[in-house]
Amino acid sequence: MTVRKLVRTVPALLLVLLALAGPLLAPHAVDQPVTAPYATPDAVATLGGDQLGRDLLSRLLSGGAPLIATALGIALLVTTAAAALGILAALRPRLGRWLERAADLAILLPAVLGIMLVALAWPGGGRLAVAAAATVLGIPYAVRIVAAAAAPVAATGYVETAAAGGERLWYLMVREVLPNLRATLLALFGLRFVEGVYIVSIAAFLQLGPQPPAADWALMIRENAPGILLNPWAVAAPSLAIGLLAISVNLAVEGIAARPTPESAL
Amino acid sequence: MSLVRFVWPAVRRLALLTVLLATVFAAVSLLPGDAATATSERGESATDLAARRAALGLDRPLAERFWDWLAGLPTGDLGTSAHGRPVTALLAAPFPNTLLLGGLALLLSVTGALALGSWAALRPGGRVDRAVATAATAAFALPEFVVSVALLLVLSLWTGWLPAVTLTGPDGAPASWRMLVLPLLALTIPQIGWNTRIVRGALADQASLPHVQAAILDGLPRHRVLTHHVLPGALPAIAVGTATSAGMLLGGAVVVETLFNYPGIGAVLAGAVADRDTPLVAGVVAATGAAISTLLLAADLIRDRTLGVRA
Amino acid sequence: MSVTRRQLLWATAGIGTAGALAACGSGSGRSDSEPAPAGSTSEQPRSGGTLKIGALGRASAVTRDPHGSQANESDYLIISLLYDTLAVPGDTANTVPRLAASWQPSPDLKTWRFTIADGAKFHDGTPVTAADVVWSLKRLRATPAGASRLPGIQPSGISAEGARTVVLVSDYANADLPLLTRLTTFVLKKDTKDDAVATASGSGPFKLDWFRDGNARLVRNDDWYGGKVLLDAVEVRIFESPQALANALLAGQIDVASNVGATAARTAGARKDVQVVRRPNDLAMPIVMRAAGGPFADPRVRQALRLAVDREAMVKQVLSGYGTVANDVLGTGDPAYARDLPQRTRDLVRARQLLGAAGFDLARSYDLVTTEDIPGLAESATLFATQVRETGVRINVVKQDSKLFWDASWLKAPLYASYWGTNDSVVFFASKTMVSEAGQNEAGWRDPAFDAAYRKALATADAAERAKVLHQLQEIEYDRSGYLLWGMADGIDLAAAPVRGLPRLPGYGRVQLEKTWLAR
Repeated sequence: MTVRKLVRTVPALLLVLLALAGPLLAPHAVDQPVTAPYATPDAVATLGGDQLGRDLLSRLLSGGAPLIATALGIALLVTTAAAALGILAALRPRLGRWLERAADLAILLPAVLGIMLVALAWPGGGRLAVAAAATVLGIPYAVRIVAAAAAPVAATGYVETAAAGGERLWYLMVREVLPNLRATLLALFGLRFVEGVYIVSIAAFLQLGPQPPAADWALMIRENAPGILLNPWAVAAPSLAIGLLAISVNLAVEGIAARPTPESAL
Repeated sequence: MSLVRFVWPAVRRLALLTVLLATVFAAVSLLPGDAATATSERGESATDLAARRAALGLDRPLAERFWDWLAGLPTGDLGTSAHGRPVTALLAAPFPNTLLLGGLALLLSVTGALALGSWAALRPGGRVDRAVATAATAAFALPEFVVSVALLLVLSLWTGWLPAVTLTGPDGAPASWRMLVLPLLALTIPQIGWNTRIVRGALADQASLPHVQAAILDGLPRHRVLTHHVLPGALPAIAVGTATSAGMLLGGAVVVETLFNYPGIGAVLAGAVADRDTPLVAGVVAATGAAISTLLLAADLIRDRTLGVRA
Repeated sequence: MSVTRRQLLWATAGIGTAGALAACGSGSGRSDSEPAPAGSTSEQPRSGGTLKIGALGRASAVTRDPHGSQANESDYLIISLLYDTLAVPGDTANTVPRLAASWQPSPDLKTWRFTIADGAKFHDGTPVTAADVVWSLKRLRATPAGASRLPGIQPSGISAEGARTVVLVSDYANADLPLLTRLTTFVLKKDTKDDAVATASGSGPFKLDWFRDGNARLVRNDDWYGGKVLLDAVEVRIFESPQALANALLAGQIDVASNVGATAARTAGARKDVQVVRRPNDLAMPIVMRAAGGPFADPRVRQALRLAVDREAMVKQVLSGYGTVANDVLGTGDPAYARDLPQRTRDLVRARQLLGAAGFDLARSYDLVTTEDIPGLAESATLFATQVRETGVRINVVKQDSKLFWDASWLKAPLYASYWGTNDSVVFFASKTMVSEAGQNEAGWRDPAFDAAYRKALATADAAERAKVLHQLQEIEYDRSGYLLWGMADGIDLAAAPVRGLPRLPGYGRVQLEKTWLAR
């Protein structure tokens, strides 16, 4: 069974490795024009040119790491914060009600609008501003999921016993409740990663976040969209990369978590 | 009793909406630059700007402007945009257009998600389940503009089957229903991905409950267990989950409406944020917030009713 | 792609150029537009048909006031089909008559008399009088940007002389005053209320049928004084993104995509059923080097950067070849433009020498600020940074939000990429952006010899003498201004095969559709 788990993490690991090593493999500089704008693939540029005639393949190889790093950062922060707050909410119901209200409020503010506001209020923020907005806006919903999963755990006899025994709050959180939420948190992390990729991409479409001349898959899609009929790869290649990244990471997370849920033979 | 049950959630939702509006109003006002500079022309002097600022009422305290704006809400007066036009007039045609597009997309995606999620739930961990999970993740991970561009190429520019953009007639509505198809698909596909995950999750939770397990042990057919024991119980979770996703639809609408030139609220919003147009942004948030609140309220009622029946 | 076209329009109010005088008083030389390239010239223009034209604009910024600040090209198009300005841009001259049939200056070039065209009347049938024009000009002058739209003209300097003559008095001698009357001087009926402006009668070649959220349908004005209008109707559609605009044309949903850009032109290049209309000298994207202080204050450093840029490559990569190489002098579309100045080309050796002589610090990097208001601007900055690295100068491109750019960097940053969407003249740019006291002196450049040449040009009535002075002015600009102008982008429209007689003028000359017709 563990072998199968490992197998499921292979695509994601390969992709991340490729994204990290990409800049070393790139045949051309990412900011030097080598061909005509939106040139079709030829001997010089294997995947053709982008909107300035820069080598698309080189930019594709270099453009994964920043996007992965941003999405990873968002996913880690949101999951960590949600774990802490969610468990706290389960152990301290009064706080839980306030967090529930905050989540209700955040749901009314569409993420895109929130990101627009944060990124515009912090014009030099670039990628960091988008990441910050995505993190803050993502937390309430994630807290709700963790809190829902933690509530039954908190109500189990051994946690209640530990609480009655005068154990400190952090001890209860870390040692008693957290280990039982492994599957939930991993699934949450995978989902948040995909969401992170999605949000950075949407922000790039709205000209927020990563800035040219940086090579970034999300940015590449937007920059090259006008020339899609001239060199379809300019948009298709980064789109495929983003799609593959999202799928492989989820595959890996599900593999590791090995969801116990469908043990019921429905 | 039932009236109280309806009124209390409604009041709570309304209070939340007000808090949100105040937050957004303050946030937009704190953005660097204001509507006076945003709508000025190159070459205006500082005095011209001050005059423009006064004309727009931007020299008054923030709290006062917010209160004025809030007081106008019940009468349908959303204030005046930075370009000097009534916000209500600016949103009069786009909002129904977006409600139409978003409503159809929500309906389509929920239907699709229910079908896919149920199909996957018939054999948990089976091939179908895994394929649906992967496809749902992929669909949800693909940004709307990628889907839009692909649809545009395949269904319009290469084949000529559907119109590439939406054009409006004198009534401000799309000139033909065929123009709705592409933006609708572009909005629905990523949304199906998200909603399928919600449905699948809710069904899995429900399936692990004792009474469902009992039904399975009784040897009832799978589809019967699904329709009679699992789905009804999972409905509240699904309703809340999909209502939650309505906000994501608006995010997608900003992109999709721009790409397909659909005359909706998303396109207005993109321009309004760029122009620091506080009343217009607040107007959009008010309108969408109200729409989402209504959906959530409906979800609350479904939940209460289901729980009530059970209790 | 919510590209903002903010502030392209403001630049239309300007001070004139040589050549305008030639058109004065003649009443001839209407801005006849050449037929579009694919149309055979032997065809006889024919009447009828509805032209569907798409133009860029944001739904949130729609305005219907002809004297308001127009951020949308679509609004401007609608307004200029409904209302007339006193003069319009022309082919052979910078200014040709429209509602004003002719104009005459006083000997001191301060007082100008404009005569209203015969038979000019509003859509409701009442004749256009001098009183209407005076009221409209005063209304324009009273807008927040009024002083820069009619520079040098006080409200008291606008008056009527009888029913047909309008008198404009300038604070200073201005040989090119008529240039100010192009593009923004829309004439409405006297005493039109502000809330009635949207439905106010105009005197233009088309009448309003309906308007809704930035979209409009206009029908032919059979009574137009300017000649026979060919199209039955024009339908204007507003587009948020250039991409959607191009797609609408490629899918056959509209007949003309106005100002849609080079990428769209290349995309349409393979299509036999689409015409690509190129309008040269449409848009300048200069790199501004601050002369008033900072690292680029030394003229040798500015010269070095002008020698470091590879202009051919910029035009090829940034504009996809849809443009022309420029020579650091602004106003390339002007008949008075100095074409004989030697074309500056890339010379890295000389550039390095100059940088060394000036003691330029190569150890640090310099920010080049830009914005994404228009397609290609950020890309030009990116490519420029890459090119000058070969001289050892390290430039870091900083892309700012449009608002921040105009508030904090424009006129202030040591190095930034600006743009001017206008075909205006050499003197226009001199007056607006280079003479010492100019309010929008983008580089903070002060040069006494340049100022002297500029003042002399404005006060010289004799055309030949003026041409000589203007040439001197351009030599100084070429030698030591704060500008690096690497190229001029073509304006690009896409049109369906049957469209004939589209305007070929750069900038806002593209909105004149009265001679356009459909061969179907």
